[in-house]
Amino acid sequence: MSRIFKVGGLVSDVGRRTAIAVALALGVAGMSLPAVAGDEDLWPSLRKEVFGERAIVEGDGLIVIDAPERAEDAAIVPITMRVPPSVKGALKSLTLIIDQNPAPVAAAFTFGPAAGDGGGERRMTTRVRIDTYSYVRAIVETSDGTLHMAKTFVKASGGCSAPAPKDIDGASSDLGKIVVKSFDPALETTPLREAQIMIRHPNINGLQMDPVTRAYTPARFVKTMTVNRGEDLVFRVETSISISSDPHYRFTYANTKNNELDVVAIDTDETEFKGETRHKGL
Amino acid sequence: MEKLADRSRLEGKGAGRRKALAPDAELLSREIEAAHSLSRRTFLAATFALAAPVLRYVPARAGAPSALSVSEVAPGVFVHQGLYEEQSPQNRGDIANASFIVGKDAVAVIDTSGSFKVGRELHAAIRGVTDRPIKYVINTHMHPDHVLGNAAFKADRPDYVGHHKLQRALAMRADSYLQSNKLMLGDEAFEGSEIVLPTVLVEDKLSLDLGGRSLVCEPQKTAHTDNDLIITDTATDTLFLGDLLFSVHIPTIDGSIKGWLSLLDELATRKAARVVPGHGPPAMEFPGALDAERKYLSTVASDVRKLIADNKTMSEAAKTAALSERADWKLFDTFHVRNVTTAFAELEWD
Repeated sequence: MSRIFKVGGLVSDVGRRTAIAVALALGVAGMSLPAVAGDEDLWPSLRKEVFGERAIVEGDGLIVIDAPERAEDAAIVPITMRVPPSVKGALKSLTLIIDQNPAPVAAAFTFGPAAGDGGGERRMTTRVRIDTYSYVRAIVETSDGTLHMAKTFVKASGGCSAPAPKDIDGASSDLGKIVVKSFDPALETTPLREAQIMIRHPNINGLQMDPVTRAYTPARFVKTMTVNRGEDLVFRVETSISISSDPHYRFTYANTKNNELDVVAIDTDETEFKGETRHKGL
Repeated sequence: MEKLADRSRLEGKGAGRRKALAPDAELLSREIEAAHSLSRRTFLAATFALAAPVLRYVPARAGAPSALSVSEVAPGVFVHQGLYEEQSPQNRGDIANASFIVGKDAVAVIDTSGSFKVGRELHAAIRGVTDRPIKYVINTHMHPDHVLGNAAFKADRPDYVGHHKLQRALAMRADSYLQSNKLMLGDEAFEGSEIVLPTVLVEDKLSLDLGGRSLVCEPQKTAHTDNDLIITDTATDTLFLGDLLFSVHIPTIDGSIKGWLSLLDELATRKAARVVPGHGPPAMEFPGALDAERKYLSTVASDVRKLIADNKTMSEAAKTAALSERADWKLFDTFHVRNVTTAFAELEWD
């Protein structure tokens, strides 16, 4: 079964490969038990594909991943990645991988100067789809270029094949609307503050067949998002169909005098969506 | 209840969870066994007496599928009560209410339970009551525990009736529903189950004539799901709400909590002699039967709204919202967190 390792690739290519992957899955292994599929160790090949021969230190505490042991709703599984205060200096990148998903690399973050360089716990929370029992991994690259990994096992089933919107006709009315909120910290001098981004987008994963036409609904999902504070990059993320519909991010960034954020998201149709924090009390 | 394939929880069949439910299941199965001992004559006598509001009937024909126990909740209106459980090989998917209405000319079925085999026993229960043709099989919504018995009625060549969005909803989920229900029920109990799509789609309001009585079908806006259908038996003023009404079994949200709450407000202004819930007793008083569910859903909505206003996260909400409702519902631990997650994802956009 073909798997999609790169995120934000060519639209048509991703869509086609996804459809093929699904066709194969349904035809050959449609009835395979998720529990059985989860036993297969895909990590060695996956790791090579994403990180080449680079060394990865596992479980050294530089990165912590929080996920529910069992996903109550496999289409919306909140995942939080934390870098403890003891880790000083900037973070270069953070990669979120779901081993057993059709598109294992859910999100690849690269951080800029406005992300801050410590002074507290740095966090990134998002929501993912999990297709079957799977390891979920976070790999962080620190400023010295070393890779550190934390993993957790999540019991979930059907998150990718789930029809994305529960209310299928109500979903498209405000496509691309972005809500950005920056939360004031309790102490004005705290080095880090928190913000939240919500994007109204179905993130259609190309795994659903249209019952009338019998064709797969083409994939359409947010592939990149860039978050800036003024001229400075907070982070940029490349994402795949493993991110839940209505992509959601909660994260820390450097707390300064001007904390307003600008967000630009682009989906696989090359449509650009913009959002920003609202000025409060002005 | 809905056991969504797309979010089936294989873990949910753990022994501990089952054990907690065992006493009820045992009690119910004893009741069913007792019903088996009712003779056909007892049944006929009860029917003619018309005094007994509730009776159970199971014919004992060798070789034929045994019949589900049913209660006659109003003249000619029969309801089989499903168990308050998740699908399992033991309950064979018999976890949702299934009903039939007998007219002078024809019979209509409302929901067919959660497997072909239980559907066949529903069929046998109908044949224990009447030989009139089964003209309509109506599904109140898409969930497998209400539709997987549809296949047991194919030989009757009925019209399969559903909300105009039911066809698309079921077709989209067919593979995952079948796959997960096969896992939960096991091969033996699942055998023969298939997705039978509706042949009559209700766009507006549709009246089905059974001879001397008619059923009025009304499609609803997104609430429990995006394809909920309400049916009224005009002869007895009996309202069938499908999973728009849960009793005892915790409600499950697979559509819109806002839509569901506003529909409940609207429904509460209606009049009906009784209501048949999708999960719960065979018949309940209306509109009082709506109260507990409204309280649960509005508590979830208001707690989640409060948490969102306080900038809390979905994970935090899953740990705290509406726990005050825990003692009031069966299967709370199985479905509540998912309800909160679904409600949070909807309400955070307000």
